Amino acid sequence: MIERARRPWPRSLAYHIVLCAASLVMLYPLLWMFASSLKPNAEIFETFSLFPEHWDFSAYSRGWNGLQVSFGQFFWNSLLISMLSVTGNLISCSLAAYAVSRMRFPGRNICFSLMLMTLMIPYQVTLVPQYILFLNLDWVNSFLPLVVPKFMAVDAFFIFLLTQFFRGLPRELDEAAVMDGCGPWRIYWKIILPLSVPALATAAIFTFIFTWDDFFGPLIYLSDVENFTVQLGLRGFLDSGGQSDWGAMFAMAVLTLLPVLALFVFFQRLLIQGIATTGMKR
Amino acid sequence: MSVTAQIIRRRRPSLAGYVFLLPWLLGFFGLTLGPALASLYLSFTNYDLIGTPHWVGLENYVRIMTADSKVADSVHVTLLYVAMSVPLKLGFALAIAVVLNKGISGLPIYRALFYLPSLLGASVAIATLWRKVFAGDGLLNHVLLVFGIHGPSWVSDPNTALYTLVALSVWQFGSPMIIFLAGLRQLPQDLFEAASIDGATPRQQFWRITVPMLTPVIFFNVVVQTIDALKAFTPAFIVSGGSGGPINSTLFYTLYLYQEAFGYLRMGYAAALAWLLVLAIVAVTAVAFVTERLWVHYDD
Repeated sequence: MIERARRPWPRSLAYHIVLCAASLVMLYPLLWMFASSLKPNAEIFETFSLFPEHWDFSAYSRGWNGLQVSFGQFFWNSLLISMLSVTGNLISCSLAAYAVSRMRFPGRNICFSLMLMTLMIPYQVTLVPQYILFLNLDWVNSFLPLVVPKFMAVDAFFIFLLTQFFRGLPRELDEAAVMDGCGPWRIYWKIILPLSVPALATAAIFTFIFTWDDFFGPLIYLSDVENFTVQLGLRGFLDSGGQSDWGAMFAMAVLTLLPVLALFVFFQRLLIQGIATTGMKR
Repeated sequence: MSVTAQIIRRRRPSLAGYVFLLPWLLGFFGLTLGPALASLYLSFTNYDLIGTPHWVGLENYVRIMTADSKVADSVHVTLLYVAMSVPLKLGFALAIAVVLNKGISGLPIYRALFYLPSLLGASVAIATLWRKVFAGDGLLNHVLLVFGIHGPSWVSDPNTALYTLVALSVWQFGSPMIIFLAGLRQLPQDLFEAASIDGATPRQQFWRITVPMLTPVIFFNVVVQTIDALKAFTPAFIVSGGSGGPINSTLFYTLYLYQEAFGYLRMGYAAALAWLLVLAIVAVTAVAFVTERLWVHYDD
């Protein structure tokens, strides 16, 4: 901060100009997509202007009903899958994290190493046998293959995130609770979880965003249009009518981004902290 | 307290620990370790989901290594993608982070704006948008037209299609930027003060203090981004319509794997491809950690 006072103003002005220009270039495609969703189709590929000459909101209704199933259904499916995934991840990952960070039992360190190891394994390796497994369980073309694994803590990354947080909580809390006759379940439920709301919220938000954006899972497991998530709906739109109706395509694309944008607006601090402290790749 | 009661008291926590771990144990054995071993087995078989797996020994691996030109194409495309996107992305991330760290006002706003593409970038919406930004009549060419340049259709030209995907990846430099920023803020300020008293220019300070002190963070970002780029799938799938075209120019390794598994139902072959991907990732990580000593500076 002392540095700033010393800095001659022309230089800081230059930084601002560079940063503004860079962010404009970065965000221009997004703004253009939004503007295009408000233009008539004939106008979209005429200019790069951000201001529609003729305002046209019909792209939203055309897109909403553009496939044989309405986008409302896709939103509902995505929301359901995402919320169930958040629930599953929070329960299973916090249980695992509590065990490896606050409890003593033989084999604990081995378990933790195995968790870290699974972080490295690309999902392609388990893909084929998992698919065969779910096929034999008759789960393919339902939400189960996308949701049930989350209740088994397969996203080791979130175990890791919560473990780091739980380890930072003072040990005296557990000891005092044990003196008062609390077992591990009550310590977990009454002490650790309430104190870990920020970490749990971070895990919940990232799980939601990852699941909402997931394309590969739904692509291989969902085939009926009624079961499509918004990502599959968009892709279906692109393959069918979207080629000629880019206005509707962009309108739906904008809508699918809104939930993530909303989370960003409300929880920006948690998201950025989450990345800065855990080194998440998104 | 009797001896048995003591033993029970001592043993209870150990049982309880595994009760807490039960969901993870089920997932680890049922969905990770079991399937991983099963795919290792399948990689030595031919299997089309209908019959039973048919043991073929090393045939799949031999074909991948010697006889399948699409594997060669996809490895080439993927390595090119990694080699271009990772350095560019991290270069931008570091450059912007350094500027933002200069005590500029409005830092939270800039940080949010630069991070936004990272947050949204993995979605189908953005991949779709990308297809139209780089189309023949797309956004980029309209901008170029202002300068009198008639651009090609970038996405459908095999010579340029991959670059549009590299651009998409570089555009998402926001999250490594945040990690760099966090690292830059931890650097001891007195080093920089001492250096400027000794007359070091900002450029010298950057190369002699900032970069060496930041190498652990750079190391982390390089490893994570490289592995991530090796596994990239969605952008290539959407931009090429699932084909990896034009002329295999965007046939990422994972996209080829997907085509083999779910397009042609060659599950054994796909499993072999997946295991080679694991080997590649292990190799990258191993090389990173072996060379770490040579260039990563840890303050001890």
